[in-house]
Amino acid sequence: MKRLIASVIAVAALIFAGVAGDVYSQKPASGQRVGATLAAVPVSLSLPLKDGSVKFLVIGDTGTGSNKQKELADLLLRYHGAFPFEFALMMGDNLYGSEKATDYKNKFEDVYRSLLDQKVKFYATLGNHDESNQRFYEHFNMNGEEYYNFKKGGVSFYCLNSNYMDKKQVKWMEDKLAQDTSEWKIAYFHHPPYSSGGKHGSDTELREVVEPIFVKHGVNVVLAGHEHFYERVKPQKGIYYFISGAGGKLRPGDVKDRSPLTEKAYDADMSFMLVEIVKDQMHFQVISRKGETVDAGVLPNQRKKTSAAAK
Amino acid sequence: MPIRSASAIGATLTLCLTLALPASTPAQTTAAQSQSAQPVLSAKDKQTVAAFDKRVKEYVKMRERVEKKMPKLSKDATPEQIEAHKTTFQERMMAARAGAKHGQIFKPDIASFIRATLKDEFKGRDRAELRETVFEAETQGVPVRVNFAYPANKEAVEMPPTLLLRLPQLPKQLRYRFVGRNMLLVDRENGLIVDYMTDALP
Repeated sequence: MKRLIASVIAVAALIFAGVAGDVYSQKPASGQRVGATLAAVPVSLSLPLKDGSVKFLVIGDTGTGSNKQKELADLLLRYHGAFPFEFALMMGDNLYGSEKATDYKNKFEDVYRSLLDQKVKFYATLGNHDESNQRFYEHFNMNGEEYYNFKKGGVSFYCLNSNYMDKKQVKWMEDKLAQDTSEWKIAYFHHPPYSSGGKHGSDTELREVVEPIFVKHGVNVVLAGHEHFYERVKPQKGIYYFISGAGGKLRPGDVKDRSPLTEKAYDADMSFMLVEIVKDQMHFQVISRKGETVDAGVLPNQRKKTSAAAK
Repeated sequence: MPIRSASAIGATLTLCLTLALPASTPAQTTAAQSQSAQPVLSAKDKQTVAAFDKRVKEYVKMRERVEKKMPKLSKDATPEQIEAHKTTFQERMMAARAGAKHGQIFKPDIASFIRATLKDEFKGRDRAELRETVFEAETQGVPVRVNFAYPANKEAVEMPPTLLLRLPQLPKQLRYRFVGRNMLLVDRENGLIVDYMTDALP
């Protein structure tokens, strides 16, 4: 009850401080699916572009080598000109089909050559279509590991292997998270613990194991792929969940209508997600292959908020 | 740009109420239980698992002997180096295990133990989705044969974490993998099927 009262007080404080309006109030109204894509539009950035912020790309299920993947990559490059993200998180299924040397080139290197030339670092996670040997690939920056962590500014990133969440990995994750005092903790892996997808849906088995650990150790954000669409899930147990799995494939119309999980979803075209973390705020913008901004907003660091409420 | 609106306030309330959830939730309890829900093994089962572990370790030792004679793959390898390493590793392991037969690692006793574990894990309506995932995966055409390569262009079915926590743990070089109702033991680097057991899934 005390927690509830504290939260209500916190809400009132946020509203009057003018912060509340920045949360979950994007157009179109939350809970609705964005409609058909618009014609090509110029680069339109809604991120703050602050000096010293942590700027990155989130893109998933890319590895087809298709023309559409390349079209999206071309648009991505244009956005990189306006929003110079330093690195990219890949949500898995980095290489569909065979994984010969030519596949690495056709499905990744050639597609993102310009970004690689501009020293954008890609940090990959493994999907169900990826071989473990990808962890040795120079441009995936996995350092020979199927799961790993790294830090950028005040943000800790945890790349997990959701294909094979065994005891060793669970222990590694718990140990690392327990020692981590970063302001932001972001976990990313292929299979989404929450999803409104018709084909796959929520990975409840995975969720059963990882979510309590995330909650216990203050993970702020979880990013996933696997589903070939974009979805921002309503916060679950205080954690922000996103799916960005339409970087190379699309499953049109797969998001279930009126899903209670959906805060915002987009399954009409391929998409990528740009993120900028500025102190206690995480800004995000999701852009479709045709240049339409299909979701955007600002999320507060919920862990700091609960601390403030508790005081 | 964001707008301040009634829906925004409502959403914020929702967020804060979400954050106001008690520290211990049912999901936490479930996971904690599942992580600690290691079945109490009988003396016979312990013996069975220990013997299985020993056979697995013997495979790993043999594999290490083969791998040591190969150039080490760096942590920033090129695609050509990755492909060459996998191909060479496959060829050498296939030669080294030329006489390997089905059931040498998954002997009948451990196969029965695993079947029972899977049966328990897969029972109930809540596991229907899990079965669906396994059976709908794009694994048609995978050769269920010892010392054959798991095709790179075939999907690897995600191993349910709650199940992995209950199965005998494997060294990092090996993986359990489902293909239909069969369970395979696959080498994660060279992609070879080390052994398999049929009718693993109920």
